[in-house]
Amino acid sequence: MTGLLVLAVLATLLAGTCFAVLLDRAQPALVAEFFRSRVETEAPDRLNRDLAPAWYLALAAIGLSVVPFAPGLALIDSPAGIVIWGSCEALIVVTVFLHGWAPNAPFPLIGAYRYAALALPVMLPSMFVLIAAALPAQSLSLIAIVDSQREIWNVIRQPLGLPLFLVVALALTLRGPMDYADGADIATGTSAEESGAARATWYLARAAMLVSVSALAATVFLGGPLGPLLPGPVWLWLKTAALMALTAWLGHHVARPPPGRMLTLLWIALLPLSFLHLAISGVLAL
Amino acid sequence: MTRLARIAASAPVPVFAAIGPGRQAETERLLARPGLRRADTARDAAILLVAGDLPEAAAPALARLHDQLPRPRVTLRWQGEGADETETALTGAWRELCAGGPDEEDRLPDAPTNAWRGVGPHGQGGEGMMGGTPYGRPMAMTGADIRDGLQLDRYSATLGPFAPMLPPGMVLDLTLQGDVICEAAVAEPPFAQPAEADAPALCAARLLRLLGLEKAARRVIGGRRPGALWITGAVPPGLGRIGGADLRARLAAWLADRPVTVPAFDLPALLAGAEWCEAMLILASLPPSELIRAARRDAAA
Repeated sequence: MTGLLVLAVLATLLAGTCFAVLLDRAQPALVAEFFRSRVETEAPDRLNRDLAPAWYLALAAIGLSVVPFAPGLALIDSPAGIVIWGSCEALIVVTVFLHGWAPNAPFPLIGAYRYAALALPVMLPSMFVLIAAALPAQSLSLIAIVDSQREIWNVIRQPLGLPLFLVVALALTLRGPMDYADGADIATGTSAEESGAARATWYLARAAMLVSVSALAATVFLGGPLGPLLPGPVWLWLKTAALMALTAWLGHHVARPPPGRMLTLLWIALLPLSFLHLAISGVLAL
Repeated sequence: MTRLARIAASAPVPVFAAIGPGRQAETERLLARPGLRRADTARDAAILLVAGDLPEAAAPALARLHDQLPRPRVTLRWQGEGADETETALTGAWRELCAGGPDEEDRLPDAPTNAWRGVGPHGQGGEGMMGGTPYGRPMAMTGADIRDGLQLDRYSATLGPFAPMLPPGMVLDLTLQGDVICEAAVAEPPFAQPAEADAPALCAARLLRLLGLEKAARRVIGGRRPGALWITGAVPPGLGRIGGADLRARLAAWLADRPVTVPAFDLPALLAGAEWCEAMLILASLPPSELIRAARRDAAA
């Protein structure tokens, strides 16, 4: 059974990454990158430069492994699945920072620091939102959270949860309004010195993370594998694909404010809102 | 040509443009076409498009830019030809590159342009663990933070004339603390551009690209609506205020296809104290003709 679940996680990640590339219509450009060479910068941190996309991919895989593919069935059946996911989120910030640190150049480093500054106030609402979803289940296990949605999905019971988590999803996948690491004003930031296969791998890792974060959102807010007629994994895939499409659409169609404005919005509006959401969910769960 | 190479050749052509005097509007319109893609960094491009006649002074910068493109790469000069002809030439050059066509060697030797004058093996041997000028770049030394009086590293750099986020030809001497601009001085004003560069659609598109809305920028240049959310709302109110109108108002006017004029302004004062993204937005929110006039005044002073 474990072997089958490992296979399911890897196949979901692979197929989902392909779907994310299709959503961005990036497939020919991605193939073209592999025909191009990598340029060396002056005195780069080679180890971290090569490891950053690998960490990102590994975090996407670990994050996906706590997601139940059928009711009661996840690769990592942990009583604290949400905490495992939360640690993945925190390590993404480190990974993106290392990606910007490694080339030893100004624009990547600005992107790295900027992302670290923006990601912190994103992590906090993320945790509040996930803990709020854990309250009705009275457990931090994602399997229990799925079970708690048999009557009513969390997206209806806690209407603020999914919109707030979509902001987190955009930040974790460096997309559109939350892409403070790789913006155009700093010549694509942490990727500014990357070319060829290295650039393509970083993009693929971001696409894989979109699968992972969407699958988690589908589990926490849309009942994950719950649904009539079709088998559990199919429902999970359908819901994940829908959330991936929604996140990709938001990434392409919402403007990105300067970091100062976004920081203000995150600390002054989003953080109190997520706290309010947690308080209301707590009272309702009593 | 292998199957994979054929797929690669069908990708939008990744172009980095070195835009010369008088060619900004044409180049921006050309690169908004669906088969072409304007790269945000030279590392992401395969074709260097040199539009127009560059002044002699920009030749060393062009050579450096050329060597920043990853190989295989090709340079295309765009003189008086029409846009359709140039698009065909770009697409043809890209197909040839994907099929393993000719590549271009580096123009400059792969060696530091200045001698090592650092103290210690990494330049860490001087005052405050920093010293000398390794390879012609002075080490960052601490200075008063212009916002809250902390002592932070000040990093000096010259940016331009082909930096993708600056107007073509502009060279800025900048002193930064992190991504906050402490001091800005105009080393070279932007290249002269005809009034066509002030067209509302082109001005709006420049801001939209900086706001992360590449597709919306293309749509606006194509004469359509941007089709994006929270455009003016994303701009902080009051940013880049000149004579009563701020950046948000100028963007709104351009999106409504109205031309914008601004009274005389002091460019270094507008940029000093601004965060990097805000500073780039401010520069893109000034109509090129007015920006060139102001920058020339500063460069002469």
